[in-house]
Amino acid sequence: MDSGVVVEFAHLGVTYANGVVALSDLSLTLAADQAVCVVGPSGCGKTTLLRVLAGLEKATNGEVQLSRPATLAMVFQQGLLFPWLSVADNISYGLMTRGATPPQCRAAAREWSERMGLQRFIDAYPHQLSGGMQQRVGLARALAVNPDLLLLDEPFAALDAQTRVLMQELLVDLRQQGLCRSMLLVTHAIDEALLVGDRVVVLSARPGRIIADVTPAVTHGQSFDEIRAQPAFMQAFTTIWQLIRREVEAQLHEEVTL
Amino acid sequence: MNQSRWLTWLSPLLLLVLWEGAVQLGLLNRVFIPPPSEVVVALAKALRDGSMQHDVLVSSQRIGLGFLIGALPGTLLGIWSGLNRTVLALVRPLATMLYPVPKIALLPLVIVVLGIGEVSKVATVAVSVFLMVVIHTIGGVLQIDQRYFEAARVFGANQRTVFRTVALPASLPAIVEGWKLAMGFALTLIVGVEFVGANDGIGYRIWQSYELYAIADMMAAVCVIAGLGWVVTVVLDEVARLVVPWQYTVKESRMSVVRTWWGAVRPWSYTAAIVPVLLGAAIAAQHVGLNWWLLILALIGSIAIQGGTNLMNDYYDYRKGTDTPAVKGTGGALLRGDLTPTQIFWAGICAFGIGAAIGLYLVSVTGPFIFWLGLCSVAVGYFYTAGPFALAYVGLGEIAVFIFMGPVMVLGSYYLQIPTVAWPAVWVSLPVAFVVAAILHANNLRDIDTDRINHKRTLATIFGRDGARIEYYVLVGGTFVSQWVLVALGVAPWPTLVTLIMLPLAWKLMGIAGREVDPAALQPVLRQTAVLHMRFGLLYVLGWVIALWV
Ligand SMILES: Nc1ncnc2c1ncn2[C@@H]1O[C@H](COP(=O)(O)OP(=O)(O)OP(=O)(O)O)[C@@H](O)[C@H]1O
Ligand SMILES: [Mg+2]
Repeated sequence: MDSGVVVEFAHLGVTYANGVVALSDLSLTLAADQAVCVVGPSGCGKTTLLRVLAGLEKATNGEVQLSRPATLAMVFQQGLLFPWLSVADNISYGLMTRGATPPQCRAAAREWSERMGLQRFIDAYPHQLSGGMQQRVGLARALAVNPDLLLLDEPFAALDAQTRVLMQELLVDLRQQGLCRSMLLVTHAIDEALLVGDRVVVLSARPGRIIADVTPAVTHGQSFDEIRAQPAFMQAFTTIWQLIRREVEAQLHEEVTL
Repeated sequence: MNQSRWLTWLSPLLLLVLWEGAVQLGLLNRVFIPPPSEVVVALAKALRDGSMQHDVLVSSQRIGLGFLIGALPGTLLGIWSGLNRTVLALVRPLATMLYPVPKIALLPLVIVVLGIGEVSKVATVAVSVFLMVVIHTIGGVLQIDQRYFEAARVFGANQRTVFRTVALPASLPAIVEGWKLAMGFALTLIVGVEFVGANDGIGYRIWQSYELYAIADMMAAVCVIAGLGWVVTVVLDEVARLVVPWQYTVKESRMSVVRTWWGAVRPWSYTAAIVPVLLGAAIAAQHVGLNWWLLILALIGSIAIQGGTNLMNDYYDYRKGTDTPAVKGTGGALLRGDLTPTQIFWAGICAFGIGAAIGLYLVSVTGPFIFWLGLCSVAVGYFYTAGPFALAYVGLGEIAVFIFMGPVMVLGSYYLQIPTVAWPAVWVSLPVAFVVAAILHANNLRDIDTDRINHKRTLATIFGRDGARIEYYVLVGGTFVSQWVLVALGVAPWPTLVTLIMLPLAWKLMGIAGREVDPAALQPVLRQTAVLHMRFGLLYVLGWVIALWV
């Protein structure tokens, strides 16, 4: 097995064309094979951070460095499956672009749809699936390329509460099977960050700076209910919530005085 | 919803009736406003002398050619402009500027440049199609959600792959929509173009009839172009289904109207209606030159009656509850709820109506013999599964089919060409009669168990499975043996032995029928027996046609 990829954001700054400063002077190192969650108030630049890493946005200042060339994959907030491709073709999309033959693609699609409980829908089109199913396909599409680094941008935010829990469990399960190693998950939900991630990075209101970087002493490998009952979990949850709350309140106050 | 469907038909129908009545009562002047019946007569006349077909063909060619010449480059340029800002800046202002110009206004200019011939007409259509398609395609490409491009790039797609897997499919719905509009536009335009400076085509026909004050002819032509427009719409809808399938899976998980009816009416079973008619004509052709008009009418009439029979069959099977989802094959449109029993019933009545109308016409031009044949056919078609004494349920199905879809039809078709009752035609028709009965029997063999449970008495349930297998051998074997006897006796010409190439298929089918019990395994036997009928029948007819020269 090759070594995991190390990601280093160095003094990253992103200013959009309309003058909005989304990020300024952000430095962060993601260790190999780590699951890092980024939480922060709305509009603080979390998506921007992911987009820079994915190469969809240019850094205005600073840079992002990877320890070696790496395969990235991304799960988008709204799924963003290709409506004109069947579930099978969506899953194998990243393989197809990398030159896999149709039989290889088909085999991978079959394998992943089985793993994700999608066998019955393999020839369906995305709009025929429920939101949870769509997001499963999104996850399968990302994992099918066997990425060194998986990026997830609020992947479960649009799902109903029950489906969301199931999807979080699925993600943890996949990771325990060794199917996704390094990952960077952006989320609004603190509990999600604590349940899924090894490490939680808290960003301030815009422009996002790191105001906390914690590795909670939560013991993984238990059921979600058991994890939630751990004192370490509750303590970390309260700490992070207080930090974010302060940011949001300050932001509100600013907007009111403006 | 279904009720309102019928209501939508009611008002035009009522209008036609009122219109006819008003003219007949002298309330409207027949010269200016001829009644619908006169329009129908005018239409029949124009179809009969072939002039209408000619005009439709000419106009269709102009439209088709103009559409191709305009739509292909239009689509390509549209996509290119949508993806490339420079090209967009060059193309869009021009296209939007020219777009509102009524294209018919350009015709004189086009004529000045290209002359009055075919080229200028095609060019006018092509130009307007081109503009329409370009504008729609640009719109389609520009409205693509940019995030799809990003997703593709994150997953490693290069420029070419992005085009193939995102730009093209995402803009296709708008492109196809543009094609549809452009086609409708082309149809309108061609009429205008042919009003001036043409000496054929449907528009020319309308104008010419107007100048001659032949209002009925004019209306007939208008009806035809309306029909043409409808056909084009249906065809383009099917094209859209093919090209953008993902758009048709949710909101219309139900099949299109055309497909539903196609499945309910079972046109693939029409070889049973077509082969005997062709055979009768082919035999007659040994003696006289063919009257094609009567042959075509006979074909349409026969197809209509077959269609009516199929529909009635579905209707009464549904009513009697003999078709359940366990029954494989068709009849399913009703069970799936795609069509209502009432719709099926009335469609069947309509089909019989068309068959009867054609039949009456044929009677009027030939003789009463056709009348009796037709009447019997309709009656058998109706009572096949309808009424208290349904032929199909008392074990008479095969016999009825054997007689009516064999000798009777061949005799009738022959009679249309040569008005005598030719008994040799009966012998000649026997092979076809055997194989058509074999289709029905393959169906009954497959359904033997469900039919027993439903107390539907067919020869298969009466004979039992072993007897039913022997019956299948007899019918398929009889097809070939009877033909060999006919050739040996010199009744059928030797080139008809081309049917021998179907022997392996027949052999294979008899094998499966003798072996299998499972309805699912017998389903292919049914389908393939129908194929056997079609190929055997057409080859047999071909043999007769070849005999005209050797
Ligand atoms: N393409 C863009 N052009 C201009 N401004 C943008 C653009 N994309 C994002 N922004 C702004 O930059 C800021 C950060 O955006 P970003 O999407 O990274 O935030 P976020 O933390 O992901 O927010 P959310 O939690 O709502 O998803 C926001 O104020 C947003 O309005
Ligand atoms: Mg975001």
